[in-house]
Amino acid sequence: MLIKLSGGTVYDPAHGVDGQVRDIYVRDGRIVPPTGDTPDQEYDLRGKIVMAGAIDMHTHIGGGKVTIARNLLPEDHRKDPAPREGLMRAGCGHAVPSTLTTGYRYAEMGYTAGFEPAVLPINARQAHHEMADVPLLDVGGYVMLGSDDFLLRMLRDGRSQAEINNYVAWTIHSTQCIGVKVVNPGGISAFKFNQRNLDLDEQNSYYGITPRQILQTLARAVHELGVPHPLHVHGCNLGVPGNVETSLNTISGIEGLPMHLTHIQFHSYGTEGDRKFSSGAARIAEAINKNENITIDVGQVLFGQTVTASGDSMAQHRNSAVANPNKWVCMDIECDAGCGVVPFKYKDKNFVNALQWAIGLETFLLVEDPWRIFLTTDHPNGAPFYAYPHLIKLLMNKSFRNDALARINPDAAALSTLGSIEREYSLYEIAIMTRAGAARLLGLRDRGHLGEGAAADITVYTAQEDQEKMFEKPDYVFKDGELVVKHGEIVKIVWGNVHTVKPEFDRAKIESELKPYFDRYHTMKLDNFMIRDNEIEDDGRSKILVHSCKKA
Amino acid sequence: MAALTFTLKIAPQQRVDVSPLTPDNLAGKSATDIAALPLQCGNRALRTDEVFTIAGDDAADIRLLKSSAKLDLIGKGMTSGSITVDGDAGAYLGMQMKGGSIEVSGSVGAYAACEMKNGVILLRGHAGDFLGAALPGNKKGMAGGVVVVKGNAGDRVGDHMRRGAILIEGNAGGYLGSRMTAGTIAVAGTVGEHLGYAMNRGTLLLLQAPPLLPPTFNDCGSHTLGFLPLLLKSFKGVDSCFGGLADSLKRVRRYAGDMAAMGKGEVLVVI
Repeated sequence: MLIKLSGGTVYDPAHGVDGQVRDIYVRDGRIVPPTGDTPDQEYDLRGKIVMAGAIDMHTHIGGGKVTIARNLLPEDHRKDPAPREGLMRAGCGHAVPSTLTTGYRYAEMGYTAGFEPAVLPINARQAHHEMADVPLLDVGGYVMLGSDDFLLRMLRDGRSQAEINNYVAWTIHSTQCIGVKVVNPGGISAFKFNQRNLDLDEQNSYYGITPRQILQTLARAVHELGVPHPLHVHGCNLGVPGNVETSLNTISGIEGLPMHLTHIQFHSYGTEGDRKFSSGAARIAEAINKNENITIDVGQVLFGQTVTASGDSMAQHRNSAVANPNKWVCMDIECDAGCGVVPFKYKDKNFVNALQWAIGLETFLLVEDPWRIFLTTDHPNGAPFYAYPHLIKLLMNKSFRNDALARINPDAAALSTLGSIEREYSLYEIAIMTRAGAARLLGLRDRGHLGEGAAADITVYTAQEDQEKMFEKPDYVFKDGELVVKHGEIVKIVWGNVHTVKPEFDRAKIESELKPYFDRYHTMKLDNFMIRDNEIEDDGRSKILVHSCKKA
Repeated sequence: MAALTFTLKIAPQQRVDVSPLTPDNLAGKSATDIAALPLQCGNRALRTDEVFTIAGDDAADIRLLKSSAKLDLIGKGMTSGSITVDGDAGAYLGMQMKGGSIEVSGSVGAYAACEMKNGVILLRGHAGDFLGAALPGNKKGMAGGVVVVKGNAGDRVGDHMRRGAILIEGNAGGYLGSRMTAGTIAVAGTVGEHLGYAMNRGTLLLLQAPPLLPPTFNDCGSHTLGFLPLLLKSFKGVDSCFGGLADSLKRVRRYAGDMAAMGKGEVLVVI
């Protein structure tokens, strides 16, 4: 079937198209060159804004911690029921919505892909099950390494980079992931040995390995395997005042290797001022601007009730004192890692929360290259994902931002440089951050752009003065060429794809080591640990898409 | 004015949420308005007059006749007036009730009086589990008012309870007063295992000695407590056997706990 989208104003940064009027042709789910054939369907998009479907490259939508958060917060579901409506089945949830509601709400905002950033190898199957139940959204996961016993043993025993690469590649294959994430490198493991802090050059008391070694080894492994997405790093000392130094050290310590620093806002705190808590955003932004190997996403805080769910049990144990409501979970997860779930209520009158809000925005506005910064709230840790339109407005509208700044804790506002920053994001830059850049970062060649051959994930908005309203409710959303949302309402349910990479490696070699290790230490046998393609594809909903790896 | 009477006329296949039928919500509504009120039944909404035969007009005096255990959320959040239930009632009876009174001739399901703030509930039959508790996940249970149970109560009575009194004339199940913050629970009959589990503060008054007290409760000896007659006298206004003990019940053995939690709670066993 041929669909013609005529006369829309197109923003396609991957091809340098900045607000030009173009026709787009879609045949069988793909964008095709202009053709003389009579289209089966035509949409008159004159005066409308056309972008590729948005991509959330860091959102916690699957895996054990999300389930724990749902169990911990039944009131989150009671207070926000989403009754069955039209094609949508019933669901619920504000901070941690049910899978179905997650998919509907993302699609209603024009998102067509979301990536779960913390897939624990041992929990990967459950994470995929959960993501498979999110409709309308392409998904993928970053597998979490860095505090797992096997890798730390390898490092302790001085194993070669090639052997470690082999283990990393095997893990990516076995868990059907598209990238590798490290959370508090070695720190989750150190927590189990009673260390409550672990700085970049501090040794894990059991293995004698430092976070710096882990970061360098894993970043190199990902790079050498040719995985497009650089190592996804949740650094040391999350949330600790003064951690801006750690983050700067992390950037310089990676020695030019590609690295993605996630929710950088939580890692940009200084210790100046009477309360020993200040913004390090300017220094971080300066370092990002200078180091082209570094990409970041922000993890913006927005005010209201949410829940933080993280693999960083060390940080979450530290945060548990400010849990609101006062209940929390920290747990050990076998040989792999741990996790912590702490509900949070960010308040605009609270000094720390207000400054966190300002630090996130400062980071957005001070980092110059929109190709290397991504719009996230670290859903649900900084705010639930459906706050994105509000966040976009904060970035695009200076007076709106300054009004908001005037309402926050005045001490925090006084410490922030936010009010003096003139920059306003353009639609083109928003399209880079939420589409083209994200796709490029993850190596999704056929997503995030509107060129020939691209998958027809397309979002159509009506330009409005109020950017929040504009991004809240697109006119049309197409997923793989199917119209799924019309005027903010779901009109068709389709199921997304699972994006993966499959780097080359020597299976026999690593499995000869892993098999006895699994038999001795794991609750699962090696054969059961590996997720086969048919487990994901056999129900006829999800399709696995494998993106190519270029060996360095 | 005659009592506003709802007589159940169907045998509901699914549970029916009758929370709209409170004195507060019905005050000032015409008979046609009331008849048209939607009641959620499973995944469908039914009109009130599809479920009940309606008679009378005094919304401050509501009667539910031929009631069944399928009717949930009776009197949810009510602040005044009275609801009289003839028959059994379902779960969440009197949930978050702020005033007025509810009387049930039969038995009620789980979570009766949960998160109740004030008012009086009289249950002539049995009560289910989690009487006067907090909703799952919430940290604050019943915070005021009085609940009287003439029959037996289930497990976890007063879970996370903060204030108010629950008076049980029959037996109580396991985990009586678990995670209590404060308040009073009195039981005339027997009690189950794990009494006062993780209790922080509050009082469990038992007329019969429990077979076993958890090891995290400390025996503090026998006492004549001056406050007991005062406490019991305060129950004279409600239909309960405890009010009548005000003059005779004085001496108790006191056990303090749960030492595994804050440990400022007490189990008072009448001797």
